[in-house]
Amino acid sequence: MSRLDRTRTSAHQLRPFFSSQNLLNRSDGSAQFDFGGSSVLCSVVGPAEVKLRDEKLDKATIEVVARPLVGLPGVKDKALEQNIRESLEPLILSGLHPRTMLQIVIQTMKDDGCILSTAFNAVILALLDAGIPLKSILGSVTCMIDAQSSEILLDPTTEELSRARSTHVFVFDNKSSVQSEQGKMNVDTDDQEAGTSSLAAVLFSDSTGMFTEQEYFECAHFCFKASQAVHGFIRTAVQKKLEKEYQQTQA
Amino acid sequence: MASIKVEQTGSIISTGPQIVLPGDLLPSAETGLLEDAPTAPVIKLGPGLQPMDDDSIAAVKAGVLKHTAVGNRWWVESNQRRYVAAAGESVIGVVVGKTVEHYKVDIGTAQPALLGVLAFEGATKRNKPDIKIGALIYCRVSLANKDMEAELECFNPSTGKADGYGELKSGFLIKVSLGLARRLLDPKTLILRLLGQHIPFETAIGMNGKVWIHSAEPKHTILICNAIKNSEYLNKDECAVMVKALFEKL
Repeated sequence: MSRLDRTRTSAHQLRPFFSSQNLLNRSDGSAQFDFGGSSVLCSVVGPAEVKLRDEKLDKATIEVVARPLVGLPGVKDKALEQNIRESLEPLILSGLHPRTMLQIVIQTMKDDGCILSTAFNAVILALLDAGIPLKSILGSVTCMIDAQSSEILLDPTTEELSRARSTHVFVFDNKSSVQSEQGKMNVDTDDQEAGTSSLAAVLFSDSTGMFTEQEYFECAHFCFKASQAVHGFIRTAVQKKLEKEYQQTQA
Repeated sequence: MASIKVEQTGSIISTGPQIVLPGDLLPSAETGLLEDAPTAPVIKLGPGLQPMDDDSIAAVKAGVLKHTAVGNRWWVESNQRRYVAAAGESVIGVVVGKTVEHYKVDIGTAQPALLGVLAFEGATKRNKPDIKIGALIYCRVSLANKDMEAELECFNPSTGKADGYGELKSGFLIKVSLGLARRLLDPKTLILRLLGQHIPFETAIGMNGKVWIHSAEPKHTILICNAIKNSEYLNKDECAVMVKALFEKL
């Protein structure tokens, strides 16, 4: 079946990625991440001074602020803040900077579906730019199940999402292949049946709508595959930035 | 994907920069961290590397993995803008407060650092330096602990001499990234050599990304500041062109 989004031919094709780090002058780290027509800008300040009220004696206080495209922040933005903060808290080694504050501001720039996934990827790039100590990196991909054809579409646009029976957001860390080496969980062998496999590395999963258990695991499987592409992209982005910094010191 | 290939030829990795991201593991075979080895060599971890819960060693910052065979030291060289104090580093700070025993100095860390009023060359209880709020101080971090404010000193404790530390009078302060500050401290640094060919100037560079510049004329100071800030993402040729263009406009 062809997609509503005419720029793509396959159901498992992602929109083109774009990212840019160190955009903002006065924050400690910043990044923009785009999935096609969806774009999120994220800034990180920290480790900075914390208000006495929010101070934690053994770790950094993590504050996430989400700003919508237009208007004042509402319930949706508060939910996004909470989702991102709760997924990042185990990832950030906040014990290394006790009694400090880490403020993450997320600004939606363009919305064409999958804002939560775009925000996750923008946040991780901004945290890398700020040099915040992390346990691992993450990559996020959204998928949906079409109401008519029951087909799984990766990275849907707003237009496609209007026909969704259910949508699923997944976040995976980059340690999954390590785990497979250690024999804990086999994740990315092609001949393995869909589902069951990839859940070892899930950092966050959010689903809305009606779906069966099997459909959920299929979605997890496809999103896991796609998240590998996001991880690869993040690695390339960081590599490009470092090459620019090192060009003077190399002969 | 998660394991990184490191070739040890000589003291430093020779196969170009090894880029690591958080979560990448140090290869246990190369670092001599094989399990149950009774003669396992001692490994020293620098910034950007942390032992994980399962006894593996993983990078926690994005940067270039560096290694020296002497002492088996491993660290990740990364760039950031926020300073986290480390003992022994020279920094530039602004005095923001004063108590009976300490000056409070903003060195760019989360909390202001403490500089003892007696931590100067030749300072006694009778004869203390009088430093105003807002003054610039070039000093050394004497104590850095993640749970406490950093402590600073303006003299070498083994000789009692100032060693160039102290208040920086007049001049101009700019803020650059920590990576650029480290690069400027290299005696072979390109941009300072290029600028030095045209005009004389004084500079003090703090590891906290603060750079103090003093020259004969304000227009020279402004030019030097701009040149240093512009040089961060340029290559050698572009740096030379940039400096030449700036001086032609002067």
